[in-house]
Amino acid sequence: MSCEMGAWLSADLYLRPRLSQYMGEIVQETDALLAMVSGLGSPLNVLVPRQIVDNYAKYREVYGKHHLGGTIYFAHKANRSSALVRELAASEAGVDVASLAELRHALSAGFSGDRIMATGPKSAEFLWLAARCGAVVNADSREELVQLGELLTAHALPRVRVMLRLSAFESRGVPVLSRPSRFGCHEREITDLLDVVDKYRDVFNLLGVSYHLDTIGLVEKALALEGCLRAMRECRQRGYNPFAVDIGGGYGANYLADQEEWERYTTELGNAVLGNRPPLTWQNHGYGLRVEAGTLRGALGLYPSYRPVAGERYLDELLSGEAPSLRRSLATLLLENLYDLHIEPGRALVDQCGLTLTLVEEVRTTSSGDPLVRVGANSRDISLEEHAVLVDPILVRANPAGEGTGRPTGVYLSGNLCLEDDLITRRKVFLPHRPAPGDLLVFANTAGYFMDFAADHALMQPVARKVAMFRDGGTWRWCLDEEYWPTKGSRA
Amino acid sequence: MRYDSITDVIGDTPLVRVAPEVHGLRNIDLYAKLEMLNPFGSVKDRPAWNMARAGLPDAVERGDMIVELSSGNTAKALAVIAAMHGLPFKSVTNRMKVPEIKDLLLLLGAQIEELPGQTECLDPTDTEDPLTRMYRMLSEEGNGYLHTDQYFNPLNLDAHRGSTGPEIVKDLDGRGPDHFIACVGTAGSSSGVAGVLREHNPAVDIVGLVAHKSDFIPGIRNIDEVNEVGLFDPGTYDTIESVTAQEAIDGMLTLNRRCGMLGGPTGGAAYFGAVRYLKTIDETLTERRNAVFIVCDRVESYMSYVRQRRPELLNQPARGNSVDTLTDAEIAAAATVDVAEARRWIAEARPLVVDLRGSFAYAALHIEDSVNIVDELFAELVHGGLPFGASKPVLLVCPVGEKSARFAALLTRMGHQDVRSLSGGVVAWRDAGAPLVRD
Repeated sequence: MSCEMGAWLSADLYLRPRLSQYMGEIVQETDALLAMVSGLGSPLNVLVPRQIVDNYAKYREVYGKHHLGGTIYFAHKANRSSALVRELAASEAGVDVASLAELRHALSAGFSGDRIMATGPKSAEFLWLAARCGAVVNADSREELVQLGELLTAHALPRVRVMLRLSAFESRGVPVLSRPSRFGCHEREITDLLDVVDKYRDVFNLLGVSYHLDTIGLVEKALALEGCLRAMRECRQRGYNPFAVDIGGGYGANYLADQEEWERYTTELGNAVLGNRPPLTWQNHGYGLRVEAGTLRGALGLYPSYRPVAGERYLDELLSGEAPSLRRSLATLLLENLYDLHIEPGRALVDQCGLTLTLVEEVRTTSSGDPLVRVGANSRDISLEEHAVLVDPILVRANPAGEGTGRPTGVYLSGNLCLEDDLITRRKVFLPHRPAPGDLLVFANTAGYFMDFAADHALMQPVARKVAMFRDGGTWRWCLDEEYWPTKGSRA
Repeated sequence: MRYDSITDVIGDTPLVRVAPEVHGLRNIDLYAKLEMLNPFGSVKDRPAWNMARAGLPDAVERGDMIVELSSGNTAKALAVIAAMHGLPFKSVTNRMKVPEIKDLLLLLGAQIEELPGQTECLDPTDTEDPLTRMYRMLSEEGNGYLHTDQYFNPLNLDAHRGSTGPEIVKDLDGRGPDHFIACVGTAGSSSGVAGVLREHNPAVDIVGLVAHKSDFIPGIRNIDEVNEVGLFDPGTYDTIESVTAQEAIDGMLTLNRRCGMLGGPTGGAAYFGAVRYLKTIDETLTERRNAVFIVCDRVESYMSYVRQRRPELLNQPARGNSVDTLTDAEIAAAATVDVAEARRWIAEARPLVVDLRGSFAYAALHIEDSVNIVDELFAELVHGGLPFGASKPVLLVCPVGEKSARFAALLTRMGHQDVRSLSGGVVAWRDAGAPLVRD
């Protein structure tokens, strides 16, 4: 038994991150990274604006393949970076804003109002500025539509393009259940919504209908898209000429380089929870799994960190799939009904657009024998745990020949907050060497929701600064995020 | 043989030897337990009947609904049993992965409920597995359910302990096999049978087969999923091995083509796993041994499963007059007209305007006086010949002018004298501001 346990302990259950070409190059720039952290502090967020435009182009290819027109709006909420938004402003993309501040940010980055879509909960001020600058207003409810109509009339604002957000659809045939959403209306309520649009016919320009479902299930999304087509027909029958269907985001990202590693890890996690091997997590946390009478219960509450069909490929798969009752591919139905397709990818559009650098501050061994590595960052700076994405950081050694290194090691990563639960991840992370103070741990692919969505000043710890990296001639250069404009670097 | 009820036909399935020249084992006799010959078509007939039987009289009295978390053979058997007793049956499932089974369940009058997929913006507090979700649903909606609970119900296992196991022992001279190879789904058949075999021959070698982690094989769980099964006890098996979907299909083809056993991919997986495992032992043997595996259900329900993974096995010969046979040169040579020309031509020559889009789109907006023949239907029509006179002018219209050009090329090859394609399609027509109508 002890021999077997030993074999398990030495097994390196890596979950190595997938790295784009740009990211692969940047993590090799060891001296620059160490200097940046030394000058700007830990944690430090690094963005590569060029990547978001490359990602945009991949979505465009999917549009092209299906002969579809329409706008790809970046869901701004995924990242607050100015560099990313400014770089996109220089492309043909649109931007989806969900707050007054995001709207102002987009406008200041160079987006004209007609390229902006306003979604989510909206204050009167948000609605006013959206209407004033000519953004599309994606209305969540009948009440919001009425508020917008009154606002437009009261303030003599120009005609506004509106979309009606739906969130619950009738399944024809076999019932397909979906989680209830607090945004949008039931398909049945389209008549009520159109009554409001009728009332404000002079100030609204009805663009079409939209949905966004928080699910990775293609079946649910296909059902929703078909429901939107029926709603569009209803709009036409009421005398409108809508021409766009907005299917929101949720295309996902693939974080890991290797499927085998992911499968091996998740299998072993189950075994650890069952008690068949030493724990792989702090206090044998099960990520949703638990043991009842020797049987594993619950569900693995993890993002599918290895996800072969993600991003533009997921969109392609959705569009290629058949509508449940109209029995034609969704792309064909959109095309032959002459509808534009609008999408709002967030996480998926900033895939590989950024990484987070953290400084190793202390390495020690706990009384139970586990190495504990403290970094200059906390779990709110890098919200991997909150989003349940499992991926290893990359170790950048300050002194590759120095002490404290050697064999592969499993370590726990703790943060800089004076809180028991401030672990960067509850996972034991396997690294090729034991880290030493002064080394960097680089978290890859953090631009989508992991950088600044939850970061705060708890304990007066600093929030990470952001820098943008860009290529100039053959070399990588950097500047502060707010100093980045698309004029930087060489465009080639 | 005469029976009073179809449920009496469940069980007593034959044990048939696989010819040695098929499996190539020199020292081992390999037998297939043909569970696919049960009346509802699978090994699940036994547990389904065993789990439902005791509760049926009460359920019938109260008019309860039978519910089960299944998207496969258990659902199928329970659907039949429920229907026979005038009870409704509901199958709750993550996703129906085998469309033929889904259709069959609907045909039998079952209700199907598909659970939501995982959230994209993950909520780590939402850690409910489908089963917990279903338990909650059942308790929320009150009584009126007979939940057979196949993954935890000991009656599942008992069905095999009481019949499948003893049948195998009896057919092998009261001693049972030296090796038993079974796929692990609910673990009911493998554990139930294994228990009986061990009583008769403590040295019996039990092999459990699970699906390769990233693969889907109907009725088999993968190495992680077995841990979620209440009836699964790793101690039952001497060895656990995994099988891929492609290997399952390979095994199935051998069973189907060479053994005359029309088993499905689960049986195929069992055969493949059995032969692969036994080969390693066979070479070291000096005495004769025997081995048994289970053919769980029939192949017919898995045509789309095969089509998805081995499309070449189901290739139909190309049909006549098909757009797939066109050359690029033929397509490029098809006569096309732009919107302005098309409008002039329509006014002058009154061609037949055929709109190849779907009826939903056509009904919403179309070119005046056009006829809607959706592309799939049109393709079907022209397989047999020209659907209109060869000299009647025809304008073909599709969304962007791609499909219409192909059909124009095909019709020209078939001898039509004046067929043209609207270049840019309805999209170009709309963009040019030409009129579209709704009737």
